[in-house]
Amino acid sequence: MASSAAAGFLSRGSSGNNSNMRGLVQFIADLRNARARELEEKRINKELANIRQKFKDGSLSGYHKKKYVCKLLYIYILGWNVDFGHLEAVNLISANKYSEKQIGYLAMTLFLHESHELLHLVVNSIRKDLTDHNELFNCLALHAIANVGSREMGEALSGEVHRLLISPTSKAFVKKKAALTLLRLYRKSPDIVQPQWAERIISLMDDADMGVALSVTSLVMALAQNNPEQYKGSYVKAASRMKRILVDQEYAQDYLYYKVPCPWIQVKMLRLLQYFPPSEDTHVRELIRESLQKILNLALEMPKNVQQNNAQNAVLFEAINLIIHLDTEQALMKQISSRLGKFIQSRETNVRYLGLEAMTHLAARAETLDPIKQHQSIIIGSLKDRDISVRRKGLDLLYSMCDQTNAQPIVGELLQYLQNADFAIREEMVLKIAILTEKYATDIQWYVDISLRLIAMAGDHVSDEVWHRVIQIVTNNEELQVYAAQNILQYVKADHCHETLVKIGGYILGEFGHLIAEDKGCSPIEQFLALQGKLQGCSSSTRAIILSCFIKFVNLFPEIKPRLMYVFQAYSHTLDSELQQRACEYLALASLPTDDLLRTVCDEMPPFPERQSALLSRLHQKHGNTSDKRTWVVGGKDANTMEKNPGLKRAQSSNGGPHMNGSTNGTTNGTNGHAKGANDLAGLDMLDTGPSEPKTLIPNLASAAHLSPDWEIGYNKLLTKAEGILYEDGQIQIGVRSEYRGQMACVILYFSNKAPTAVSSFTTTLDLEPSEKENLSWEVKGLPESTIYTGAQSQQMIMFEAKKVFDKSPTIRISYIAGALQALTLKLPVNIHKFMDPAELTADDFFKRWKQIGGAPREAQRVFGVRGGRDGDREINESFIRRTVEGFRWGVLDGVDPNKKNLVGASVLHTAGGGKFGCLLRLEPNYGTQMIRLTIRATDDSVPPIIIKTMEDRLATGISTHLDMMEPPSHRDISDVFGSVLVT
Amino acid sequence: MSATLSCSRGREKSLAKWFTTLSPKEKAKIIKDVSQLVLARRTRMCNFLEYKGWRIVWRYEASADELTADSKIVYRRYASLFFIAGCNSTDNELITLEIVHRYVEQMDKYYGNVWTSYVILPLLQSWRIDQPQIFNFQKAYFILDELLLAGEMQESSKKNVLRVISAQDSIEDTEVDEEVTKIM
Repeated sequence: MASSAAAGFLSRGSSGNNSNMRGLVQFIADLRNARARELEEKRINKELANIRQKFKDGSLSGYHKKKYVCKLLYIYILGWNVDFGHLEAVNLISANKYSEKQIGYLAMTLFLHESHELLHLVVNSIRKDLTDHNELFNCLALHAIANVGSREMGEALSGEVHRLLISPTSKAFVKKKAALTLLRLYRKSPDIVQPQWAERIISLMDDADMGVALSVTSLVMALAQNNPEQYKGSYVKAASRMKRILVDQEYAQDYLYYKVPCPWIQVKMLRLLQYFPPSEDTHVRELIRESLQKILNLALEMPKNVQQNNAQNAVLFEAINLIIHLDTEQALMKQISSRLGKFIQSRETNVRYLGLEAMTHLAARAETLDPIKQHQSIIIGSLKDRDISVRRKGLDLLYSMCDQTNAQPIVGELLQYLQNADFAIREEMVLKIAILTEKYATDIQWYVDISLRLIAMAGDHVSDEVWHRVIQIVTNNEELQVYAAQNILQYVKADHCHETLVKIGGYILGEFGHLIAEDKGCSPIEQFLALQGKLQGCSSSTRAIILSCFIKFVNLFPEIKPRLMYVFQAYSHTLDSELQQRACEYLALASLPTDDLLRTVCDEMPPFPERQSALLSRLHQKHGNTSDKRTWVVGGKDANTMEKNPGLKRAQSSNGGPHMNGSTNGTTNGTNGHAKGANDLAGLDMLDTGPSEPKTLIPNLASAAHLSPDWEIGYNKLLTKAEGILYEDGQIQIGVRSEYRGQMACVILYFSNKAPTAVSSFTTTLDLEPSEKENLSWEVKGLPESTIYTGAQSQQMIMFEAKKVFDKSPTIRISYIAGALQALTLKLPVNIHKFMDPAELTADDFFKRWKQIGGAPREAQRVFGVRGGRDGDREINESFIRRTVEGFRWGVLDGVDPNKKNLVGASVLHTAGGGKFGCLLRLEPNYGTQMIRLTIRATDDSVPPIIIKTMEDRLATGISTHLDMMEPPSHRDISDVFGSVLVT
Repeated sequence: MSATLSCSRGREKSLAKWFTTLSPKEKAKIIKDVSQLVLARRTRMCNFLEYKGWRIVWRYEASADELTADSKIVYRRYASLFFIAGCNSTDNELITLEIVHRYVEQMDKYYGNVWTSYVILPLLQSWRIDQPQIFNFQKAYFILDELLLAGEMQESSKKNVLRVISAQDSIEDTEVDEEVTKIM
């Protein structure tokens, strides 16, 4: 054994087998044979000495270095310190051989952590490997960053990582690693992911490789949580990919996990959809609905195989969460609430656990708790489950499903369970019981009884907030005071009384003791004796409260003053400086010749200002922020909407009126020990929202501000036409067909791929200026195919509805991957004049209405000439004007205007909100000067300025004077025209 | 997911992979706590466990804020061996459980069905092994790296992972052969 390392060395290569690193194998075998700890230690120390010596001598070959680093790794895993070898280990990453590099990277990720100083030395080596042509080297470098990447490393290398993610030449196995590496770097420092990367990253969710799609979805999930607006495009991507996987069964066989198609990506996409508010688009909603229904149907089968069962349920419960989140799918909702009832009684513990969790989510969202309440007894039963995990979930659910009707039994059960509950959850239980008791108390006795019983039972697990809150509630609710004083006195009188109750007793009796002084067994002296009896056994803070109570007694019950003075005197010599100061001050206060000051100081406490309950804050603190944002919190609907709760008043009841008394609060430390307590009662900060994302202005690439060059050519043509080509370039042709009926428009977009290869991740996004959104609405009836093959065409139908008169046209962002990401933003030729129908009017009618409408503001008039002037190469002529006016959907009325050259027209404009508007037009051309006077009148003053502007634009463009010099027909035109006769 | 580790009844060492940055002390405490919790679980209990003591720390250094998150444990038992994954309280439990299983299967596929006693156990200080291939302990990490990156599932296709690992192996073999020839 002693020579094992050397023997391993010598034997390496001597045998025919090329099992690498015989020395390492021998070393591990030696350790295995070491039966005793000392022998192991001896062997390891020997090896460490050997390695140290070898490293010192230097001139080791890469192979040997690798072997020694491997040994170090093994020793490290066994729990030994191998710091001396770190440098040699990380040096290996710059080796040329893959196997050496790989061990170097493994050592680096195991030995070093993200802020280790050695990492600075390797950044350049990592960069070199990231840019290497060998993809395996790229992968090693990505692994390293994904494991130990820090902010500094992110700043230095995120550009390269991003490049590997989006480069058209990156292989799938590199892309998926790059996506997750970027995720790691984003978690370290959110600003390394630049806003302009968003569109490209989202488009990768369509990647044909499921591994890439999965990894990118993980990345998008993190990004979308913090920048929902920037990543909203991922919503449609997730919805449509879900449907493709589930309904169209579009996946490679390899990704079936025990008959469930890639459950990981399903779960991720279902979760991603929960980060956004439900879509308003009926088509997208339908896609989601279809997938969800499919999931529910598949889950009806109960597979025997554990893995299949787990994977199926993983998807099912995520789907249930999405359904609850959507909150609009009544049919689905009905299905899941009946299933949840079965889940919580399942024999499988996992299913019970998840069922309770899902029901808690439902309680957090649902309008009514009735479907949950019918399972109340089963849920209460889950508190007795043998598994703590299930009991916890049961507790969460009971807490969430509580309302006025069932609060008393639920709180009763919880109290009973509290006595045997695990220590780990008692504090949380106490908080929850206290919150429920306050929130749903309908009678005062119940509130007082439960609160005091709670504290008596679980004293040690009662956080300060709980008893502070009891005092706050009692002080602010006059009707509670007598009952509370009577009860607390009984507790304090008992031999065994938890110190927290003594604190409450000290406060309540000091304030309200006089209200019960006439009652049997509650006389001043009995109150005094009860508290005095507890003085000895209590902590300093409780004694301080009792002393403060006693000075109030001096004021309230002068008859027992001597006994109180005696206590103060005793405590004026105590070693505890806080108590001593109080005792001395109280002594002095009580010894003043008049009791004016005493009365002022000891006046009744004013009611506490109404505040957010500190209890809720405390509870929510426990659910601090997560990297994954919760989409809901445990607690009923109001906990999620932050509504004001009914229940006990937090402000003073009306008949008492507020007892304003500044000095009581002023002499805080002297008179009562609660100044600090009172401040604590103020709701502490609610859910800490974590680091707020730097609000960078996010460019909305689909907006009119980012229109692509040459967008106008097609748009202008289509202003006066219902169909035609909107855009065309070397890769893509976009055609439009539209039909207008009343205020409704049906627009179909045709996308043809002219590129020699298929384009993928084809995405369209519609946008409209926010100010116009209420004037023009739309519904997307379908999405174009994600992949359009070469020569193929895909289409998208959009229904528009003109609600009111609108000015700006919607825009569309079209993006796709053809190698790199290509994107266009175009304006859609949807304008207000398209919603006009030409009208027929007689001359009489026309002039009658013309006069009725009258001049401004319901008239707009412009005088303008052809652009480029009279002698330019464009002109306006009669046929052009007529065509244009008709294109603008006017009914041209012939023979109405006395001047034959003039044109008059009429039309009816349809809107959903404003109804129909009558529109009239008069156009007076002067062909000599190439000028036009255009007048438009309409029954509403919002119409003429908008229409006249578009018409002026169009008319002023004129028509080419070289009309006869037509372009020769292109090859395509010829083949189109002769397509039917030519045989090719 | 924040970490995976495997442990076994009565053994002190475990193969652990961390996806968050923690000090050795924090790691040791977590391993101790979690092992105790999990080993105390009885059969037919659920595979999820709240573990409040484990505050996952994401260090957003940009804002110097430390976010802490509730976490939970998802574990699975294979004979006497436990595989444990720590994750956020919001993570999907069952799918995490299946990540664990997929890792186990992947190891199975690579090492043959005897790997549990031959591959993981050496890392757990089990001294009962004779097969040479068990000494490839580093492969357990390489496989995990192909499966999970940054704590997220990277590839769920067994074939794809195996393809990458086999490619690595053949490169290594070639390189070692060259080396051997040179030395000879």
